[in-house]
Amino acid sequence: MDDGIERHLAAGRHARAFDLVVPAYKDRVFRLAYSILKDRAAAEDAAQETFVRIWKALPGFDGRAALGTWIYAITRNTCLMELRRRRPTVSFDDPDSTEAQHAAASIATGPAEDPEHDNLLRLVEALPRNQQEAVRLFYLEDRSYETVAEQLGMPLGTVKNLLHRARKRLMGLARPDEVKAA
Amino acid sequence: MNEMSFAGPCADCEHDLVELLEGSLGPERARVIRLHVESCPRCRAWRAEFAAIDAGLAAALPRPALSADFEHRLQARIATLPRPVNRSDLRASADREHERLVDTLRRGARRHALLDGIGSAAVAISVLAAARVLVEQTGALPLLLEGPQRLVILGGIGTAVALAALAWTAVRSRLPLAG
Repeated sequence: MDDGIERHLAAGRHARAFDLVVPAYKDRVFRLAYSILKDRAAAEDAAQETFVRIWKALPGFDGRAALGTWIYAITRNTCLMELRRRRPTVSFDDPDSTEAQHAAASIATGPAEDPEHDNLLRLVEALPRNQQEAVRLFYLEDRSYETVAEQLGMPLGTVKNLLHRARKRLMGLARPDEVKAA
Repeated sequence: MNEMSFAGPCADCEHDLVELLEGSLGPERARVIRLHVESCPRCRAWRAEFAAIDAGLAAALPRPALSADFEHRLQARIATLPRPVNRSDLRASADREHERLVDTLRRGARRHALLDGIGSAAVAISVLAAARVLVEQTGALPLLLEGPQRLVILGGIGTAVALAALAWTAVRSRLPLAG
Protein backbone atom coordinates (compact mmCIF):
# COMPACT_ATOMS: atom_id res chain seq x y z
CA MET A 1 0.00 0.00 0.00
CA ASP A 2 2.84 2.41 0.93
CA ASP A 3 4.45 1.76 -2.47
CA GLY A 4 1.53 3.39 -4.25
CA ILE A 5 1.59 6.31 -1.82
CA GLU A 6 5.33 6.80 -2.24
CA ARG A 7 5.05 6.66 -6.04
CA HIS A 8 2.49 9.46 -5.97
CA LEU A 9 4.63 11.44 -3.54
CA ALA A 10 7.73 11.04 -5.70
CA ALA A 11 5.73 12.32 -8.69
CA GLY A 12 4.47 15.32 -6.69
CA ARG A 13 0.84 14.06 -6.74
CA HIS A 14 0.25 14.88 -3.10
CA ALA A 15 -3.53 15.01 -3.21
CA ARG A 16 -3.68 11.51 -4.69
CA ALA A 17 -1.13 10.26 -2.17
CA PHE A 18 -3.26 11.75 0.61
CA ASP A 19 -6.33 9.94 -0.72
CA LEU A 20 -4.44 6.68 -0.16
CA VAL A 21 -2.88 7.69 3.17
CA VAL A 22 -6.23 8.24 4.91
CA PRO A 23 -7.76 4.76 4.43
CA ALA A 24 -4.40 3.08 5.00
CA TYR A 25 -3.63 4.80 8.30
CA LYS A 26 -6.89 6.13 9.77
CA ASP A 27 -7.51 3.16 12.10
CA ARG A 28 -3.94 2.93 13.36
CA VAL A 29 -3.76 6.69 13.87
CA PHE A 30 -7.05 6.56 15.78
CA ARG A 31 -5.92 3.62 17.97
CA LEU A 32 -2.63 5.36 18.76
CA ALA A 33 -4.52 8.55 19.64
CA TYR A 34 -6.94 6.55 21.78
CA SER A 35 -4.12 4.83 23.67
CA ILE A 36 -2.72 8.27 24.57
CA LEU A 37 -5.93 10.25 25.15
CA LYS A 38 -8.06 7.41 26.55
CA ASP A 39 -11.23 8.92 25.15
CA ARG A 40 -12.97 7.94 21.92
CA ALA A 41 -14.25 11.39 20.93
CA ALA A 42 -10.97 13.10 21.79
CA ALA A 43 -9.04 10.43 19.87
CA GLU A 44 -11.25 10.94 16.83
CA ASP A 45 -10.74 14.71 16.97
CA ALA A 46 -6.99 14.16 17.30
CA ALA A 47 -7.05 11.80 14.31
CA GLN A 48 -8.85 14.48 12.25
CA GLU A 49 -6.29 17.08 13.32
CA THR A 50 -3.45 14.67 12.54
CA PHE A 51 -4.67 14.14 8.97
CA VAL A 52 -5.13 17.90 8.45
CA ARG A 53 -1.50 18.35 9.49
CA ILE A 54 -0.45 15.53 7.20
CA TRP A 55 -2.31 17.22 4.33
CA LYS A 56 -0.44 20.46 4.95
CA ALA A 57 2.94 18.82 5.48
CA LEU A 58 2.82 16.12 2.81
CA PRO A 59 4.62 18.22 0.13
CA GLY A 60 7.49 18.59 2.62
CA PHE A 61 7.78 14.85 3.34
CA ASP A 62 11.28 13.99 2.13
CA GLY A 63 11.22 10.23 2.67
CA ARG A 64 14.14 10.23 5.11
CA ALA A 65 11.92 8.44 7.65
CA ALA A 66 9.41 5.74 6.73
CA LEU A 67 5.98 7.21 5.96
CA GLY A 68 4.39 5.33 8.89
CA THR A 69 7.03 6.57 11.33
CA TRP A 70 6.41 10.14 10.13
CA ILE A 71 2.63 9.80 10.44
CA TYR A 72 2.82 8.29 13.95
CA ALA A 73 5.19 11.06 15.07
CA ILE A 74 2.63 13.66 13.90
CA THR A 75 -0.11 11.71 15.71
CA ARG A 76 1.85 11.58 18.97
CA ASN A 77 2.67 15.30 18.77
CA THR A 78 -0.96 16.15 18.12
CA CYS A 79 -2.07 14.07 21.12
CA LEU A 80 0.62 15.47 23.40
CA MET A 81 -0.43 19.00 22.46
CA GLU A 82 -4.00 18.05 23.34
CA LEU A 83 -2.86 16.66 26.70
CA ARG A 84 -0.84 19.83 27.34
CA ARG A 85 -3.88 21.92 26.44
CA ARG A 86 -5.97 19.96 28.94
CA ARG A 87 -3.38 19.97 31.73
CA PRO A 88 -4.53 23.13 33.57
CA THR A 89 -7.91 21.51 34.18
CA VAL A 90 -6.60 18.11 35.30
CA SER A 91 -7.60 17.10 38.77
CA PHE A 92 -8.30 13.56 39.79
CA ASP A 93 -9.96 14.81 42.96
CA ASP A 94 -12.48 16.81 41.00
CA PRO A 95 -15.11 14.41 39.63
CA ASP A 96 -16.14 16.99 37.02
CA SER A 97 -12.63 17.40 35.60
CA THR A 98 -12.03 16.46 31.97
CA GLU A 99 -9.45 13.85 32.92
CA ALA A 100 -11.73 12.25 35.49
CA GLN A 101 -14.55 12.20 32.94
CA HIS A 102 -12.25 10.61 30.40
CA ALA A 103 -11.20 7.96 32.89
CA ALA A 104 -14.82 7.30 33.77
CA ALA A 105 -15.81 7.20 30.09
CA SER A 106 -12.96 4.84 29.38
CA ILE A 107 -14.17 2.47 32.06
CA ALA A 108 -17.80 2.92 31.08
CA THR A 109 -17.10 1.98 27.47
CA GLY A 110 -15.69 -1.41 28.52
CA PRO A 111 -17.26 -4.43 26.92
CA ALA A 112 -19.20 -5.51 30.02
CA GLU A 113 -20.21 -4.46 33.48
CA ASP A 114 -17.99 -7.24 34.73
CA PRO A 115 -16.64 -6.24 38.15
CA GLU A 116 -13.36 -8.03 37.44
CA HIS A 117 -12.88 -6.15 34.18
CA ASP A 118 -13.91 -2.95 35.86
CA ASN A 119 -11.33 -3.52 38.56
CA LEU A 120 -8.64 -4.35 36.02
CA LEU A 121 -9.36 -1.12 34.12
CA ARG A 122 -8.99 0.84 37.34
CA LEU A 123 -5.65 -0.85 37.91
CA VAL A 124 -4.53 0.08 34.39
CA GLU A 125 -5.42 3.68 35.21
CA ALA A 126 -3.00 3.45 38.13
CA LEU A 127 -0.04 2.57 35.88
CA PRO A 128 2.48 5.24 34.81
CA ARG A 129 1.38 6.98 31.61
CA ASN A 130 3.91 5.36 29.28
CA GLN A 131 2.97 1.88 30.55
CA GLN A 132 -0.75 2.64 30.17
CA GLU A 133 -0.21 3.77 26.57
CA ALA A 134 1.82 0.67 25.73
CA VAL A 135 -0.71 -1.68 27.36
CA ARG A 136 -3.72 -0.12 25.65
CA LEU A 137 -2.02 -0.06 22.27
CA PHE A 138 -0.67 -3.61 22.62
CA TYR A 139 -4.14 -5.09 23.11
CA LEU A 140 -5.73 -2.77 20.55
CA GLU A 141 -3.16 -3.90 18.01
CA ASP A 142 -3.76 -7.59 18.72
CA ARG A 143 -0.60 -8.08 20.77
CA SER A 144 1.82 -6.95 18.08
CA TYR A 145 5.04 -5.70 19.68
CA GLU A 146 6.35 -4.51 16.30
CA THR A 147 3.29 -2.35 15.60
CA VAL A 148 3.39 -0.85 19.09
CA ALA A 149 7.12 -0.11 18.74
CA GLU A 150 6.55 1.61 15.38
CA GLN A 151 3.59 3.63 16.63
CA LEU A 152 5.22 4.74 19.86
CA GLY A 153 8.53 5.40 18.10
CA MET A 154 10.43 3.12 20.50
CA PRO A 155 12.86 0.25 19.97
CA LEU A 156 11.26 -3.19 20.12
CA GLY A 157 13.20 -4.18 23.27
CA THR A 158 12.01 -1.06 25.09
CA VAL A 159 8.38 -1.86 24.27
CA LYS A 160 8.79 -5.46 25.45
CA ASN A 161 10.31 -4.29 28.74
CA LEU A 162 7.64 -1.63 29.20
CA LEU A 163 4.84 -4.15 28.69
CA HIS A 164 6.48 -6.75 30.86
CA ARG A 165 6.89 -4.28 33.71
CA ALA A 166 3.29 -3.09 33.24
CA ARG A 167 1.84 -6.60 33.40
CA LYS A 168 3.98 -7.57 36.36
CA ARG A 169 2.83 -4.45 38.11
CA LEU A 170 -0.80 -5.28 37.34
CA MET A 171 -0.28 -8.77 38.75
CA GLY A 172 1.00 -7.17 41.95
CA LEU A 173 -1.84 -4.65 42.08
CA ALA A 174 -4.42 -7.35 41.44
CA ARG A 175 -3.62 -9.17 44.69
CA PRO A 176 -3.39 -6.46 47.37
CA ASP A 177 -4.34 -8.91 50.15
CA GLU A 178 -1.33 -11.04 49.36
CA VAL A 179 0.81 -7.89 49.27
CA LYS A 180 -0.25 -7.09 52.78
CA ALA A 181 0.39 -10.66 53.86
CA ALA A 182 3.81 -10.75 52.17
CA MET B 1 3.74 -1.58 43.16
CA ASN B 2 4.86 -4.21 45.59
CA GLU B 3 4.88 -6.96 43.01
CA MET B 4 8.53 -7.69 43.74
CA SER B 5 7.60 -8.83 47.22
CA PHE B 6 5.79 -11.84 45.75
CA ALA B 7 7.49 -15.09 45.20
CA GLY B 8 7.82 -14.67 41.44
CA PRO B 9 8.99 -17.25 38.95
CA CYS B 10 12.54 -18.54 38.81
CA ALA B 11 14.64 -15.58 37.66
CA ASP B 12 16.01 -17.19 34.51
CA CYS B 13 12.55 -18.37 33.39
CA GLU B 14 10.48 -15.20 33.61
CA HIS B 15 10.95 -13.86 30.07
CA ASP B 16 10.84 -17.36 28.60
CA LEU B 17 7.51 -17.97 30.32
CA VAL B 18 6.08 -14.84 28.72
CA GLU B 19 7.41 -15.83 25.31
CA LEU B 20 6.05 -19.33 25.79
CA LEU B 21 2.59 -17.90 26.46
CA GLU B 22 2.87 -15.60 23.45
CA GLY B 23 4.06 -18.43 21.23
CA SER B 24 7.33 -16.73 20.27
CA LEU B 25 9.73 -19.04 22.15
CA GLY B 26 11.89 -21.36 20.05
CA PRO B 27 10.75 -25.03 20.09
CA GLU B 28 13.79 -26.42 21.94
CA ARG B 29 13.70 -23.77 24.68
CA ALA B 30 9.91 -24.13 24.89
CA ARG B 31 10.28 -27.86 25.59
CA VAL B 32 12.81 -27.15 28.38
CA ILE B 33 10.59 -24.48 29.95
CA ARG B 34 7.49 -26.71 29.79
CA LEU B 35 9.37 -29.48 31.58
CA HIS B 36 10.60 -27.01 34.21
CA VAL B 37 7.12 -25.58 34.78
CA GLU B 38 5.72 -29.03 35.42
CA SER B 39 8.13 -29.48 38.29
CA CYS B 40 8.14 -25.89 39.65
CA PRO B 41 5.03 -24.71 41.52
CA ARG B 42 6.29 -21.09 41.64
CA CYS B 43 6.70 -20.84 37.87
CA ARG B 44 3.41 -22.68 37.34
CA ALA B 45 1.54 -20.27 39.59
CA TRP B 46 3.20 -17.24 37.99
CA ARG B 47 2.43 -18.48 34.49
CA ALA B 48 -1.23 -18.97 35.39
CA GLU B 49 -1.40 -15.54 36.94
CA PHE B 50 0.29 -13.89 33.98
CA ALA B 51 -2.04 -15.68 31.56
CA ALA B 52 -5.02 -14.52 33.60
CA ILE B 53 -3.89 -10.87 33.53
CA ASP B 54 -3.15 -11.11 29.82
CA ALA B 55 -6.56 -12.58 29.02
CA GLY B 56 -8.26 -10.14 31.40
CA LEU B 57 -6.64 -7.14 29.70
CA ALA B 58 -7.53 -8.40 26.24
CA ALA B 59 -11.15 -8.78 27.33
CA ALA B 60 -11.50 -5.70 29.51
CA LEU B 61 -9.77 -2.96 27.54
CA PRO B 62 -12.18 -1.03 25.33
CA ARG B 63 -11.78 -1.43 21.57
CA PRO B 64 -13.34 1.74 20.19
CA ALA B 65 -13.81 2.22 16.45
CA LEU B 66 -13.83 5.30 14.29
CA SER B 67 -17.16 6.84 13.33
CA ALA B 68 -18.45 5.72 9.96
CA ASP B 69 -18.39 9.31 8.68
CA PHE B 70 -14.78 9.98 9.73
CA GLU B 71 -13.42 10.17 6.18
CA HIS B 72 -16.37 12.18 4.93
CA ARG B 73 -15.89 14.78 7.66
CA LEU B 74 -12.17 14.86 7.02
CA GLN B 75 -12.61 15.41 3.27
CA ALA B 76 -15.10 18.22 3.99
CA ARG B 77 -12.53 19.86 6.25
CA ILE B 78 -9.70 19.39 3.74
CA ALA B 79 -11.84 20.95 1.00
CA THR B 80 -11.89 24.25 2.94
CA LEU B 81 -8.08 24.39 3.15
CA PRO B 82 -5.79 25.91 0.52
CA ARG B 83 -4.01 23.36 -1.61
CA PRO B 84 -0.50 22.88 -0.21
CA VAL B 85 2.28 24.19 -2.43
CA ASN B 86 4.42 21.50 -4.04
CA ARG B 87 8.16 21.75 -3.64
CA SER B 88 8.53 21.23 -7.40
CA ASP B 89 6.18 24.19 -8.02
CA LEU B 90 8.24 26.35 -5.67
CA ARG B 91 11.43 25.33 -7.47
CA ALA B 92 9.92 26.08 -10.90
CA SER B 93 8.72 29.47 -9.66
CA ALA B 94 12.21 30.32 -8.33
CA ASP B 95 13.75 29.23 -11.66
CA ARG B 96 11.34 31.46 -13.59
CA GLU B 97 12.14 34.42 -11.32
CA HIS B 98 15.88 33.82 -11.81
CA GLU B 99 15.49 33.69 -15.60
CA ARG B 100 13.50 36.93 -15.57
CA LEU B 101 16.18 38.67 -13.49
CA VAL B 102 19.02 37.49 -15.75
CA ASP B 103 17.08 38.62 -18.83
CA THR B 104 16.49 42.08 -17.35
CA LEU B 105 20.19 42.44 -16.49
CA ARG B 106 21.18 41.40 -20.03
CA ARG B 107 18.82 43.93 -21.63
CA GLY B 108 20.12 46.64 -19.25
CA ALA B 109 23.74 45.84 -20.16
CA ARG B 110 22.91 46.01 -23.90
CA ARG B 111 21.17 49.37 -23.48
CA HIS B 112 24.16 50.72 -21.51
CA ALA B 113 26.58 49.59 -24.22
CA LEU B 114 24.47 51.24 -26.92
CA LEU B 115 24.21 54.51 -24.99
CA ASP B 116 27.96 54.48 -24.30
CA GLY B 117 28.62 54.02 -28.02
CA ILE B 118 26.24 56.83 -28.99
CA GLY B 119 27.72 59.12 -26.32
CA SER B 120 31.30 58.43 -27.36
CA ALA B 121 30.49 58.99 -31.04
CA ALA B 122 28.72 62.27 -30.22
CA VAL B 123 31.67 63.51 -28.16
CA ALA B 124 34.15 62.58 -30.92
CA ILE B 125 32.05 64.25 -33.61
CA SER B 126 31.67 67.37 -31.45
CA VAL B 127 35.42 67.60 -30.86
CA LEU B 128 36.18 67.08 -34.55
CA ALA B 129 33.58 69.69 -35.55
CA ALA B 130 34.99 72.17 -33.03
CA ALA B 131 38.55 71.53 -34.29
CA ARG B 132 37.42 72.03 -37.89
CA VAL B 133 35.71 75.34 -37.05
CA LEU B 134 38.83 76.44 -35.21
CA VAL B 135 41.08 75.59 -38.16
CA GLU B 136 38.79 77.32 -40.65
CA GLN B 137 38.56 80.46 -38.57
CA THR B 138 42.19 80.86 -37.57
CA GLY B 139 43.98 79.01 -40.36
CA ALA B 140 46.87 78.88 -37.96
CA LEU B 141 46.40 75.42 -36.44
CA PRO B 142 48.49 73.51 -39.04
CA LEU B 143 51.33 75.94 -38.34
CA LEU B 144 50.94 75.48 -34.59
CA LEU B 145 51.00 71.68 -34.95
CA GLU B 146 54.24 71.86 -36.78
CA GLY B 147 55.87 74.22 -34.32
CA PRO B 148 57.48 73.57 -30.92
CA GLN B 149 54.06 74.00 -29.16
CA ARG B 150 52.79 70.86 -30.90
CA LEU B 151 52.79 68.78 -27.66
CA VAL B 152 50.86 71.44 -25.74
CA ILE B 153 48.19 71.68 -28.47
CA LEU B 154 47.74 67.88 -28.78
CA GLY B 155 47.65 67.56 -24.97
CA GLY B 156 44.95 70.23 -24.85
CA ILE B 157 42.86 68.36 -27.43
CA GLY B 158 43.29 65.06 -25.51
CA THR B 159 42.30 66.72 -22.22
CA ALA B 160 39.23 68.24 -23.89
CA VAL B 161 38.15 64.79 -25.17
CA ALA B 162 38.72 63.22 -21.72
CA LEU B 163 36.73 65.99 -19.99
CA ALA B 164 33.91 65.58 -22.51
CA ALA B 165 33.81 61.80 -21.83
CA LEU B 166 33.81 62.42 -18.05
CA ALA B 167 31.02 64.95 -18.43
CA TRP B 168 29.00 62.43 -20.48
CA THR B 169 29.49 59.76 -17.85
CA ALA B 170 28.44 62.13 -15.06
CA VAL B 171 25.36 63.27 -16.94
CA ARG B 172 24.37 59.70 -17.81
CA SER B 173 24.66 58.50 -14.21
CA ARG B 174 22.26 61.23 -13.14
CA LEU B 175 19.71 60.43 -15.82
CA PRO B 176 17.31 57.48 -15.39
CA LEU B 177 18.75 55.60 -18.32
CA ALA B 178 19.37 52.25 -16.62
CA GLY B 179 17.11 49.40 -17.67
